[in-house]
Amino acid sequence: MRNFLKNDQDYKRRLLKKNLLNKKGQEEIVGFVIIIVIVSVVILVLLSFMLTKKENIATDSYEIESFIQSMLQYTTECEINSEILSLNRLISLCNSKGICTNGEGSCVVLENTLKEILNSAWVVNENSVVKGYDFKIVNDNKEIFSMMEGNKTARYKGSYQDFVRSGEKYQVVLTIYEE
Amino acid sequence: MVIDLFKLNRKGQMKIQQMAFMLIAITILFVLVGVFFLAISLQDLKKTATGLEKENVRFLVSKLANSPEFSCGNAFGNSLDNCIDFDKLMILRKESDKYNNFWGVTKIYVRKICPEDETICTEENYPNCGMIKILDKNVNSTGFSSNFVSLCRKEKGKNLLYDKCEIALLMIASEDKG
Repeated sequence: MRNFLKNDQDYKRRLLKKNLLNKKGQEEIVGFVIIIVIVSVVILVLLSFMLTKKENIATDSYEIESFIQSMLQYTTECEINSEILSLNRLISLCNSKGICTNGEGSCVVLENTLKEILNSAWVVNENSVVKGYDFKIVNDNKEIFSMMEGNKTARYKGSYQDFVRSGEKYQVVLTIYEE
Repeated sequence: MVIDLFKLNRKGQMKIQQMAFMLIAITILFVLVGVFFLAISLQDLKKTATGLEKENVRFLVSKLANSPEFSCGNAFGNSLDNCIDFDKLMILRKESDKYNNFWGVTKIYVRKICPEDETICTEENYPNCGMIKILDKNVNSTGFSSNFVSLCRKEKGKNLLYDKCEIALLMIASEDKG
């Protein structure tokens, strides 16, 4: 009987020791897993940072500013008093409802010229980055010409150019909408 | 008692060994991760060099039209911004080898967009052409950065000589280092 009790106690002690060892092993595994998880998360965060860097291919504002400047210097088809007018002079002539030497209305020439220039410079289609544009000419807070092509999007860039001709102040505004 | 101490020592040694293996494993893991990121960053270094070149080109393209070699100056009345003298370009085109390393870029083109014309300019077809290649190095280049400019020249009309300005794109590319 005494032997049996001693054996039982020994058995219980060994079982307890075994359980303790198992628990320790489990704790080590949990620690290792935690380290692996932390390292994986760090790797994932760094990878996502690297992969989300995108190249900027959009239009810059200086490009629009240069475009307006160049456009205003463009030589049009309108001749008046033996002088061929640049676009900024044609805008002024259109505002005073003038007529070119060949009998064509200055505003008609202005509209055709602007359409030709804008459509060749800013190609609006599905494959293009440019999804639309909005062009305006303002004289003393009054819109004298406007042209809109394509759609307005949330991403846009624009610029404006002021000039004075025959005592009148004009403002040319162009906004480019991108995808 | 001696046996117990011996057993404990062995257990301790085992634990130290386990710890050492664990530390080695973690160190190897971190070294591998470090090598992985180092490889990616070194790959990125080349991209960064190309990116800086592109940035330089974007800066150059916004300023080049107003440089003395290109600008209209006062030849067309007032001093115009972003105005390129077509006649100057035709001369510059012939002297391009002297400017090979002057701007630090590989290609400089001027392309008429209004009216659109893709004909490459030569002395024979000037001014009825639309593409002037000022610099065209035969090296691997990045995509073009462009800016709008006025391309002006003196034109003979019916009775008069007048200034004719058209719209063009000044296009610049740099060397691709990637």
